[in-house]
Amino acid sequence: MKKLTTLFLLAMIMAPAISCSEEQDFNQIDDLNVVPTLATSLLYIESDEGTINLAGTGNFYSQVFTFEAFNEPFIADNVLDGTITYQVENTTSKEIDILVEFLDEAGNVLDAEAFTIQPEPAPLLERQIAYGNGGRNLDILRNTTNIRVGGQNQGDDTSVSSQPNPRIILRSSAEFRLRLQ
Amino acid sequence: MRINLAILVTVLLSSVGLRAQHKQLLYDFYEIPQSLMQNPGVKTPYKWHAGLPLLSGIGLQAGASGISVNDLFANDGIDFTTKVRERAINGLSPRDEFGGSGQIEVFSGGFRGKNRPNDYYSFGMYGEGYASVFWPRDLAILGFEGNANNLNRRFDLGDITLQGEAVNVFHFGVNRKVNNKLNLGLRAKLYSSVFEFKSTRNSGYFVTTQGQNNILANTIVADIELKTSGVQEALDILTDDNIAASEELPRWLLGRSFFGGNLGLGADFGFTYEFKQNFFVTGSLLDVGFIYHSNGLENYTLNGAATNEGIEIFLPEDLFNGSNDLWQELVDDLERLVPFETNQKSYLSLRPIKLNASVRYNWGERGQKTEDCYCGYSTVNTTDGFDYVNAVGGHLFMIQRPKGPQAAITAFYQRRLGSVLALKTTYTASKYSLTNLGLGLSLQAGPVNFYVLADNLLGYRNIAASHYASFQFGFNIISWNDN
Repeated sequence: MKKLTTLFLLAMIMAPAISCSEEQDFNQIDDLNVVPTLATSLLYIESDEGTINLAGTGNFYSQVFTFEAFNEPFIADNVLDGTITYQVENTTSKEIDILVEFLDEAGNVLDAEAFTIQPEPAPLLERQIAYGNGGRNLDILRNTTNIRVGGQNQGDDTSVSSQPNPRIILRSSAEFRLRLQ
Repeated sequence: MRINLAILVTVLLSSVGLRAQHKQLLYDFYEIPQSLMQNPGVKTPYKWHAGLPLLSGIGLQAGASGISVNDLFANDGIDFTTKVRERAINGLSPRDEFGGSGQIEVFSGGFRGKNRPNDYYSFGMYGEGYASVFWPRDLAILGFEGNANNLNRRFDLGDITLQGEAVNVFHFGVNRKVNNKLNLGLRAKLYSSVFEFKSTRNSGYFVTTQGQNNILANTIVADIELKTSGVQEALDILTDDNIAASEELPRWLLGRSFFGGNLGLGADFGFTYEFKQNFFVTGSLLDVGFIYHSNGLENYTLNGAATNEGIEIFLPEDLFNGSNDLWQELVDDLERLVPFETNQKSYLSLRPIKLNASVRYNWGERGQKTEDCYCGYSTVNTTDGFDYVNAVGGHLFMIQRPKGPQAAITAFYQRRLGSVLALKTTYTASKYSLTNLGLGLSLQAGPVNFYVLADNLLGYRNIAASHYASFQFGFNIISWNDN
């Protein structure tokens, strides 16, 4: 019984001291790659045909507005690459031009995307623009603080589409890969 | 680097709340006076006892459920990101828990009533603290993968569950031998909370779907709250360059430990009953109480719902809007719909109630008289309080946790070796481990009692692969019952 007791005592006291461990390498944490892909809508513009007709031919809309999603530090500091997707849908009776321009703080144009879409029945126009990783320079996005959007009526100002509720619609979204670690 | 350190510390110091409170080795191991803290109705074969100040009860637990240090950091040549993705991000569930805990008994003692020898009074003060975080699986997936490839997936914000505290407990208990078959115990507790943080009943989700107008819609529905008391004060001391933290922090800790913080009341109940000769059933209900937090408060809430499809312009409605600060308007709208706010509202925090129940069978020739004497403690033999040479039994433990009750079941074997040594070995099964073997000993050298209890001994074969380790020890001076 004494032997048993001694053995037990030794086991209790020595267990932490004689415990083993496989070799650990805590520096591996430096190799961790956390690169999520975030997606969000950016800009949606919709105009009915009546508004376009009322403005006459030529420019029917032009607006500069702030857009600081890209130069938010979380995005600007971590973005690896990204894609902006545009969709243009036209159910009016006219050809429409749309111009989207990315501006810096001084008002300089950093990037521009022009769309021309035929009168209805025009198919949905979709375009994807890549930034970084072989695409356009990521600094365009990092320095963008304003967006200017313009719409031009290349048709007449009297015709009305036979489509129900005719309108021109610009949709856009962005996907970015961010390096968080 | 700070993130690295935080992750490392979280993993290394992690422990499971269930285990932090689960003391299956100490429960009903009544050679050790601290067993009174697990069951105020335990047998008390002492005339009096006194814990060695600051050394009568020290316990530390560390571990994690679902993953171990070895799973991630073994030098096995596997890409670390792959290990994190497979074993943590995709391998853990929201019920997996991380945390750390420790207890220290500042002082403790007990004595048998002079006029009421069937009553044993115990008292003391101990401090304990813990931190626990449930694995926020959905948020981890969102952070690791993003939302682009997870369209229509609802990321559950209810996965956010964390809590922690440091509390000083003053207690006084009465243990009464009602008759030779029944012991009852009651303990009153006064809690002095040093700090607490708690975020436990959250709900909501984040989802990305096809937009109604635009290509995508991001929707957040959130009802999230983090309650804190004392935390902001500690952070202020640690971050204020004008304050000498090394002097001010101990002063602050001491003040809040001795009723300068938030106070609460609680009670423990317990019994031991011999329902058949050598067959015993015991039970205890611990920490039935609350702490009312009314000072040092800083609570944070994120509450509301919003769907965002980017900047939206509708013509002709917006032709004459005039504003070109559409980005800021969008941000303001989101902050209005899902405001992040702080408040200093008082709150009641219930203690985590614990339930213990056990059955036990004693056998073996003790070399002492075994028959009931019906004669009271004042006339019993010194070792009459020890009613076994061998004992075997089962023990059920349950604790109320933020995500529902958790249970563990233990089988144990105890043996006394003369009047000097008592040993206890346990096998415990819980949702976290099916291979938990524990050993405990109580050594009596004259009036000095030393005990040591260690859990999950198989884990010491490869400590890095162990999901937790637990160790508890202490010194007492005991005067046993005598004639």
